Amino acid sequence: MSRRRKRQAVPLDRDASGRYLPLLVAIMVYLAALALAGAMAANKLAARWDSGLAGSLTVQLPAAPPGAEAEGAAQQDPALQAVVDLLEQTPGVVTTEVLQSGEISALLEPWLGEALLIDDLPLPRLIAVTINPDQPPDLTVLRRAVLAAAPGSIVDDHQRWLAHLLDLAWAVEIMAIVVVAMVLSAAAIMVAFVTRMGLAAHDQAIELLHLIGAQDSYVAKQFQSHALSLGLRGGLIGLACALPTLYLGRSLLERIESGLLPELALRPHEWSLLILLPVASALVTMFTARVTVLRTLARMP
Amino acid sequence: MVRFEDVVLRYGQGPEILKHVSLQFDPGSYHFLVGASGAGKSSLLRMMYLAQHPTAGRVALFGRNVAGLTRQETAVLRRRIGVVFQDFRLLEHLTARENVALPLQISGEAGARSDKDVEELLTWVGLADHMDALPPTLSGGQQQRVAIARAVIGRPSLLLADEPTGNLDDRMAVRLLYLFEELNKIGTTVVIATHNESLVQRFRHPITRLSGGEIAAPGGSAAAEAPA
Repeated sequence: MSRRRKRQAVPLDRDASGRYLPLLVAIMVYLAALALAGAMAANKLAARWDSGLAGSLTVQLPAAPPGAEAEGAAQQDPALQAVVDLLEQTPGVVTTEVLQSGEISALLEPWLGEALLIDDLPLPRLIAVTINPDQPPDLTVLRRAVLAAAPGSIVDDHQRWLAHLLDLAWAVEIMAIVVVAMVLSAAAIMVAFVTRMGLAAHDQAIELLHLIGAQDSYVAKQFQSHALSLGLRGGLIGLACALPTLYLGRSLLERIESGLLPELALRPHEWSLLILLPVASALVTMFTARVTVLRTLARMP
Repeated sequence: MVRFEDVVLRYGQGPEILKHVSLQFDPGSYHFLVGASGAGKSSLLRMMYLAQHPTAGRVALFGRNVAGLTRQETAVLRRRIGVVFQDFRLLEHLTARENVALPLQISGEAGARSDKDVEELLTWVGLADHMDALPPTLSGGQQQRVAIARAVIGRPSLLLADEPTGNLDDRMAVRLLYLFEELNKIGTTVVIATHNESLVQRFRHPITRLSGGEIAAPGGSAAAEAPA
């Protein structure tokens, strides 16, 4: 007897309702995995934007007078040269780099196409400035000085649009977490429903177990081990289906080659979170089944 | 061991099944409950194995009023009671061996030693060749013997049997009643509900006769009623 696998006193493995549970859990875990990956991607994107733009400024001068936009513009444009000199002398400024017209054209190319006629358009002149994030220059003073040196100039620390992008990334992250929470709640409701069906279907066996001395916890154990097994099976199936989807998403994003889009390459701790999803689903199903059984039985005479 | 004081039982708004029943079975005694079908024998037993609470009156088991028991206390008390149900109540997906081992598993006593006890008991009731059979493949008599083995495997303090010999031939019925006697000799209180008067007359144990939900002959000695 001890050599054979012990059968459970309540034959839950024969229930039709339990047969569909792994499939439903698999769908839930699949959705949760995608949502979680989305949350992680949004988080990574926000971090990248934040770190990429912190410690940098862009100074934008109005379009150069005719004949001054050529290469080596700083030397031929006194206003530009004055701003560069001012920046280099400002405490907290680490480097300055005047963007050449070719670089500006490259920035505009995605919107205006390759047929950009640089001579026909009044392009602003741009200076990329790196600042020391620990000891940044006083932006109000700097703005005033730059404006005095080159009227109409703008000193952009990117904070306005960066704040909007970070808000967006944060919202996406929160929404993804809410989706994961809702998916887990839906799984718990479903398991509670299936457990109640199981209790009703096996009421005679459960009554017998009680009559020969079983505690409610003994009956709950039967249900919770069954739910644990189904939840784990469903969770693994769901994760197995989510992984190719995530791989496909990553390949599509890589093809776009845009620095603005999130990177879907997961780091080890992010993989651990995804791998924990089937474990979490198994624990949620087990815990829900146990609580449902104990609560239902406690209401019985 | 078992004490009923002015117990009334009624299911819902129906008629009284048991009418002001008072009785007492002392520890280590052996009783027959006899009466025609519908006399209230099974209902009386149901209250003894805590499947039913009285509508009125007081039921005490092992010196405790059952009305105040929590679910946990009820479960612990039930482990001291072995029950042979009239309809056997075997779990059909479990083998005879697994059905008999169930009380041990529930009380946490399952193990190699208990496996041996289960095998010995099933052999004793003549089911050595059917230990791994599922109940639906067994005859009524064989199922009844599995039910009896399950009731006695945990060496209960109180053994309650509802028509335990109903599906058995006379030879096996007498043999099982002797098994109950052996258990009684080691201290088990035995209460057997049956309508088989001729079988009861073979034993010298008190008889409680029920009629129409009332006790017609409380604790009468079988010897006094039995032919010489």
